[in-house]
Amino acid sequence: MPSPGAIAPLHARLAAALGQQRLLVSPDALLAWECDGFTVHKSRPGAVVLAETTEHVQTALRILNDAKVPFVPRGAGTCLSGGPTAGADAVVIDCARMRRVLHVSTEDLYAVVQPGVVNLDLTTAVTCHGLHYAPDPSSQSVCTIGGNLAENSGGPHCFKYGMTRDHILGALVVLPDGSLARLGSPAGSRAPQGLDVAGLFCGSEGTFGIATEITVRLSRNAQEVRTLLAAFADMGAACRSVGDILAAGLVPAALEILDQATIRAVEASVYRAGYPEDAAAVLLVELDGAREVVAEDALEVREMFARNGALRIEEAADAAERKRLWKGRKGAFGAMGRINTDLYVLDGVVPRTRLEQALAGIAAIGEKHGMLITNVFHAGDGNLHPNISFDGRDAEQTRRTVAAGHEILQLCVDLGGSISGEHGIGSEKLDHVPMMFDAADLDVMARVRAVFDPDGRCNPGKVLPNRSACAEVAKWPQMIAKVLDVEGPR
Amino acid sequence: MNATFAPERVEEVAHWLRQRPGRVRVVGGGSRQHELPDCDGAARLGLGRLSAIERLDPGDLTCTVLPGLERRELDAALAGHGLELPCLGEGTLGGLFASDPVGPAAHGAGNPRGLLLGCDAVLADGTPFKAGARVVKSVAGFDVHKLLVGSRGTLFVATRLHLRLQARPRAVRWVERDELAIDEALRLCRALRELPAAPDVLALRRSDGGAYAVCARLVGRTRLVDAAATQLALQDREPGAPLPLPSPATGEVVRGLALPSALAGLCGALPARGAFAWLGGGRFEACSPDPTTTDRLLAWCTANGCPATIVAGPASRRGRGTPLDPGEARLAHGLRTALDPDGILA
Repeated sequence: MPSPGAIAPLHARLAAALGQQRLLVSPDALLAWECDGFTVHKSRPGAVVLAETTEHVQTALRILNDAKVPFVPRGAGTCLSGGPTAGADAVVIDCARMRRVLHVSTEDLYAVVQPGVVNLDLTTAVTCHGLHYAPDPSSQSVCTIGGNLAENSGGPHCFKYGMTRDHILGALVVLPDGSLARLGSPAGSRAPQGLDVAGLFCGSEGTFGIATEITVRLSRNAQEVRTLLAAFADMGAACRSVGDILAAGLVPAALEILDQATIRAVEASVYRAGYPEDAAAVLLVELDGAREVVAEDALEVREMFARNGALRIEEAADAAERKRLWKGRKGAFGAMGRINTDLYVLDGVVPRTRLEQALAGIAAIGEKHGMLITNVFHAGDGNLHPNISFDGRDAEQTRRTVAAGHEILQLCVDLGGSISGEHGIGSEKLDHVPMMFDAADLDVMARVRAVFDPDGRCNPGKVLPNRSACAEVAKWPQMIAKVLDVEGPR
Repeated sequence: MNATFAPERVEEVAHWLRQRPGRVRVVGGGSRQHELPDCDGAARLGLGRLSAIERLDPGDLTCTVLPGLERRELDAALAGHGLELPCLGEGTLGGLFASDPVGPAAHGAGNPRGLLLGCDAVLADGTPFKAGARVVKSVAGFDVHKLLVGSRGTLFVATRLHLRLQARPRAVRWVERDELAIDEALRLCRALRELPAAPDVLALRRSDGGAYAVCARLVGRTRLVDAAATQLALQDREPGAPLPLPSPATGEVVRGLALPSALAGLCGALPARGAFAWLGGGRFEACSPDPTTTDRLLAWCTANGCPATIVAGPASRRGRGTPLDPGEARLAHGLRTALDPDGILA
């Protein structure tokens, strides 16, 4: 890879080809691109290209290919695992200005969008047709479809409707050498006798290329939506209610749980939703579908809540109340800002039936390290988001945070789960990858990556740990320690 | 072909492949072999004896199966727990996922791609590896396991599949209306797609005789399902998948993808005689009596953006179809070369 200084000679060439207004190079201007939502990892890129068209991306990538300079695709920068954070030797290709909805088919139920279209804006654009785009990460009001594609993003409603991959039909992709590949089609991601390259591309965390047109499936709005809240005196009762709902064969659109510390943080914040602060857990259940079915399902769910000793059961009477109930859940991560200066959002998955065991283990880990860990999670999927609040200016607290996070993810793997349900590996979890995959697994992944990016210039240093790390037990927290050494305490 | 090696334990697959048996054709139940290119002289790796449900966790809505397990055996085991694998397709589970002959049966319905959570597999050189996870949600690492779907055993040999399940709907009713003109059939398809509880299987079929039929699997609560059937004058029918079509004794079969808006045009381009079926998820198959009519249909598909390929017929014609995007074709070739550089898996 070239040294950071190798990018400077490219500035003039990039500016001449793309226009000076589409190139940022001054250190001050680059500050906004130094990290994503994983703020522990900060690094200022060598330059930023503000692309607006497929041709801009192609032009930039051809120039970078000639000079063998690495690049990092980026959307809104809401990723939580350091995915779009670039080194000083790399150029960020920012796609946030590519925000046009190119085509909507109301008959065939798909849309073609540029990667910078904000997730919620797509739903807003098609809502007049009674349609929506189903994947709804908590950051949906700012995150982009391109970022969602790269990360295979989830969200509360993916329990019923699936992850981003389940809604991706195709993409026009600029490969690292600047060539184009059109993957999939509006009729399906895989041609009948072909491979599912579009499916593989989704979730590749920006390491395979840059999607500049994305074809997504749209969904019809449900005839009826009902949102229920139940407050419980203990977390076990909330988890058992989830089990009862699923065992009864019901398929809610969402099943979300917040623990007491999260509830209190939310209620003290601008995201206040009226959750009972004395509850040990709040369970949000959203039911959608045909009117008669949803009405009957809601009655059943209420009975299950009651059987599990719910302290309070509430149902949104209208859209405004539904929005209020969701406000607390969607704002939970923001509300954590009240607890401490920094927040480390984890993203482990366990089999749903092991949720109680996992939560008990997480509490024990928090106690061992003297860290406050709050939990807000997608209970239907077993996708936990333990949040460690800490003061990042305190090196000792940061060390304990990192250690606790490592132990929590190991716990998830030990229980049969995964180190990431929806946030991705990025740079954050590089050292955790060997918890799940051995050297042979990673070698196969590396071979696949090399098909798209033989030079390893497309978002280098993400997803796959270096080979020497693969052969050893996880080396966490080496990456974070390196970052802290370089950046120094904040 | 040479003799078949039929391992009884998963570990034997890697061991056998490490012996370098030459070119290898992976076989499950054998029901889709006629769709593959001829491979005279290749050794057969029969996975039919690797048949077991290794793990079934009803509360987690997941299971792990070996690739030779028959779909009907899994269905029977799941029924006891009120669960199902929400996709169409028969034969062995390994074959179903590796061939993916049906795809999603309705807009947004379950399909092998979404249901495969992870797998254990062996590369052609005998190197075992794993990808994905056992849980319903994981984005750790690249989803190499998803490449199994539709790969027809040409990238790697899957030896263990982790699958997502779902609760069986409380009411399930297979319904149909037949003897329809094409316009009536298309209107009925549209009406079914727009139901508040849209069917999870929707199919348009044409028999040899030329009349169309629409069939669907209505799911939900009994009252709702019955009301929809009455409203649309649908009769009960035997459960069953309309795809893949049985291969005709003569002629060819074209498999493709078509959006609902392309259906009327596609039906107009079909050969005058021959069975045809389209599923609401986009997949279609059409029987064609001779190469001339097949080529005419493929030309229509090319002009109208419907990917299509000949999947049954003379060996010299199988695999012909509408052109793939050159960039995607290059990547697909690169993936085959990366995972099986010596071209062992036929």
